[in-house]
Amino acid sequence: MKRVLVLSGLFLVCATTASAQLIPIRTVPISQSHQFEILPSQTFGMAGVSIAIPDSLLDPFDNPAKGARLRAARFFGTPSVYSVTSKAGGGRTFPLGAMIKTGPWFGGLSVALQEVDFSQRNGFNDIIPFACPNCGGQPVDFFGPVERSHGNAYLFAMFGRDLPAAGLSVGGSFAYSELNAVDGVDLLYAGSARIKQYGDAVDIRFGVLKEWSNGRSLEALVLHNRFGMTHDVFYLDGFWDPDTQQFAQRPRLEQNLDRTRTWGLHTEYEIPLTTSGWRMGWLATVNRMSHPKIPNYEIQNIPRDPGNSNAFNVGVGVSRTYNHSTFGVDVIYEPIWSHTWADSEDPVETDAGEIIPPGGKTIENRFRFSNALFRMGFGQQIAFGETGTSAGIQFGLALRTIHYWLNQDDHVSLTSRNLEERWVEWTPSWGVSVRFPELEVGYRGRVTNGTGRPGVANNPGILVADAAGGSNILVAPSGPLTLDEVRVVTHQFSISLPLR
Amino acid sequence: MTRFACSLFLGVLLLAGCDSITTTEPPRQTIDAELRQNMTQWGVIPIGSMQAQDAAKVALGRALFFDKVLSGNRDIACASCHEPNNGLGDGLSLAVGTGGTGIGPARTLGPGRQFVPRNAPSLLNSGLGLFYMFWDGRLTGFGSGPFFNQPDTLLLSGFPNILAAQAMLPVLNRVEMRGTAGDTDVFGNPNELAEFGDDQREAIWRAIMDRLRGIPEYVQLFNAAFPNVSTQTLSFRHAAEALATFQRDAFIKTDSPFDRYLDRDDAALTLEQKRGALLFFGEAQCVTCHSGPFLGAQSFANVGAPQIGPGIGKQLPLDRGRGEIDDFEFYQFAFRVAPLRNVELTAPYMHSGAYPTLEAVVEHYNDVPTAMRSFDVMQLDPAFRDQHHGDDATINTVMPTVDFRFTQRLDFSETEKRALVAFLKSLTDPAARNLSSVIPSRVPSGLPVR
Repeated sequence: MKRVLVLSGLFLVCATTASAQLIPIRTVPISQSHQFEILPSQTFGMAGVSIAIPDSLLDPFDNPAKGARLRAARFFGTPSVYSVTSKAGGGRTFPLGAMIKTGPWFGGLSVALQEVDFSQRNGFNDIIPFACPNCGGQPVDFFGPVERSHGNAYLFAMFGRDLPAAGLSVGGSFAYSELNAVDGVDLLYAGSARIKQYGDAVDIRFGVLKEWSNGRSLEALVLHNRFGMTHDVFYLDGFWDPDTQQFAQRPRLEQNLDRTRTWGLHTEYEIPLTTSGWRMGWLATVNRMSHPKIPNYEIQNIPRDPGNSNAFNVGVGVSRTYNHSTFGVDVIYEPIWSHTWADSEDPVETDAGEIIPPGGKTIENRFRFSNALFRMGFGQQIAFGETGTSAGIQFGLALRTIHYWLNQDDHVSLTSRNLEERWVEWTPSWGVSVRFPELEVGYRGRVTNGTGRPGVANNPGILVADAAGGSNILVAPSGPLTLDEVRVVTHQFSISLPLR
Repeated sequence: MTRFACSLFLGVLLLAGCDSITTTEPPRQTIDAELRQNMTQWGVIPIGSMQAQDAAKVALGRALFFDKVLSGNRDIACASCHEPNNGLGDGLSLAVGTGGTGIGPARTLGPGRQFVPRNAPSLLNSGLGLFYMFWDGRLTGFGSGPFFNQPDTLLLSGFPNILAAQAMLPVLNRVEMRGTAGDTDVFGNPNELAEFGDDQREAIWRAIMDRLRGIPEYVQLFNAAFPNVSTQTLSFRHAAEALATFQRDAFIKTDSPFDRYLDRDDAALTLEQKRGALLFFGEAQCVTCHSGPFLGAQSFANVGAPQIGPGIGKQLPLDRGRGEIDDFEFYQFAFRVAPLRNVELTAPYMHSGAYPTLEAVVEHYNDVPTAMRSFDVMQLDPAFRDQHHGDDATINTVMPTVDFRFTQRLDFSETEKRALVAFLKSLTDPAARNLSSVIPSRVPSGLPVR
């Protein structure tokens, strides 16, 4: 099944392992989060419900102050693999880490190595001939063998302290990701011969947790995230040379920058509702993102340079833990406003004869999102006698709806366009675990449906001769672009054991 | 609280409305300004005349092109299916290969033979260095190669252009030119070319050259065309190069009204043709496939063309086109987008030769789903009517991968359809209408030319 993409601008924000409290902005249904779902989580098989259910493994990564809830030092490893159907991508990750608590102090360290496969292009790399009257005689160069996969490395460190007198815990964390491959990006440059990605992401958080004796808790978090990737995109352009009246090839290199800086504020409040195990929680998040540079992916044809976004979420969650059963539901609403534009490099004359000076806006895009996330999960623990051994199963379902409106003003052609786009992604999940007195092992999986990988419904386009000369890209898609529907399957294995 | 949450979630879902795109029109331009603006982004450029070709190679290539000695049974030449008086096609829905008799639309199957599975494509302008050759684009390559032929992964290198590489292939095809084991030629002699296995390409090419070397006039022509190559080291590659040289010399026809219009002659097109061009490059989106210097020939699409004939590949009697080479969903039943220059002269149209007129083609694109289900076989030559596969199973197999642009009616008015056809006719170089002057009166083998 193909989804037709209608001239949408493209955001793929934001990639980091500690992704909670960072509100994703996506304008095409290309899922990337599975690449970064590498940290241990006790509710992974329950669709990741989190507002009213504590997750002692994942919570310290989201808010370092929650490391105070550690009861003992633990070592963990969560090797995971993910794959995209239709051979459209995949990867493997091996994280290792430990969390320690000594007196009022607590801390944690985790490292992970990851290998991300190139996606197989589904007829996507066909030659795109174009007419180029002045291209004759240029040499053809080659770039050597294409590497089929690339590695990423992740480092996470967390440190904090209990302040028992005040019922407070404070903590800070630092995460650094050295990235050489962000999943799916290689598919976003139609007709490219090779893409080299490099960059990094830095995530710094400072959190506070207040817990009352009656089970209530309030947390607050301030975060700063910087994501910077560079894409060296190599093309072997096919062009028809009128001089020789033959098709020929010519190499071309484009460099695209993908930069996003995010400041975020997040609060969460939880209370026990009754003595029968019900809990309820609320969260609210504000993200202020600046996009100094957004890549000109060829999957979209809206030229843009900088922009900024204001993203919010409000959510409510309920859970019930009764004996060995756990049930939780989260509902989160995410309104987002984003404004991006294209700057002119040279004076540009509009269709009305006016001149846009260098640095002036030639195109402005205003996005308004109304996204929602619904998660529901169930877990059952089965104890085997008095041995301290138990087994658990988990099931969950997450549903994410993305719905946005784009208003685009072209100040050169003096036209405006309104676009509405929406899609739904649903992710069933499952998990089994066995807990021994000194060890816990588990397997969790999930499959995300409703996302796609880019294809094209026909030849991706014709480069006009002037554009082919090497200036900024100007691509005229020969038809609406399509996404081939795929499923993303993630398997996570985990082992957790006390250090002493 | 749960009720609130559910309401909130459902409310978000209900916010989903219909996709909508609204556009504020720019100030009105003249039709020429609007048309030129629409064309600029699609790589459409005027094509100049072909540079002069080597006369000796042209002479050799001309002789070979019309000489049936290249075929196993000595009964079919290149020109038999690429007839100069039929737009360098044969006017038939599906080509008639070896064993057939007659010329052009009057050509008929030989006893026990079957049609070539696809329409014989016109050779007009094929010397311009098309990137994809054949309906399924199985031969590809840049400049002077190497050229890659699929699905047999044959690499053809050392050729000056793709047309020369292409000329190596029809002589290998049993249905088109080589014949089947046990065949005898028109003189009753054994067809030695047909006795080789399909993978013995070099042996087949050597055997053809042995035939040519046995004809003194050809030896002279080869020696004149390739003076630095000894007679014994001549190979079929040299014959293929000469065939391509002749085609580049004789069959490049690019002096059409549209070319003159591209050269800034606003008066070259009539108003109706300009209106058709505006549709072509605009609202009708024809150019999204038919783009570039040749107005096509550089991509593939499943346009829901009727399935006619014996079929080819793994899903007989259907023809999956490019899907036989690239087994991706997108390529199922997709064929090379036809180049449109001189299209008026190259009927019948589509890979299966389903439509006899441009008007019928435009009608097909106007409503592809309906056209697929209600194809009128009466528009086919009687020989092909029982070859049409119009059953529900076939339609339901082809329909899912029909290009999304054709899944709904385009709703052209009659005036718009006429304008589109008028524009397509503006792509005709008048010199291409009559190519009979290239037909020789005789060929070195002494076999009949017609």
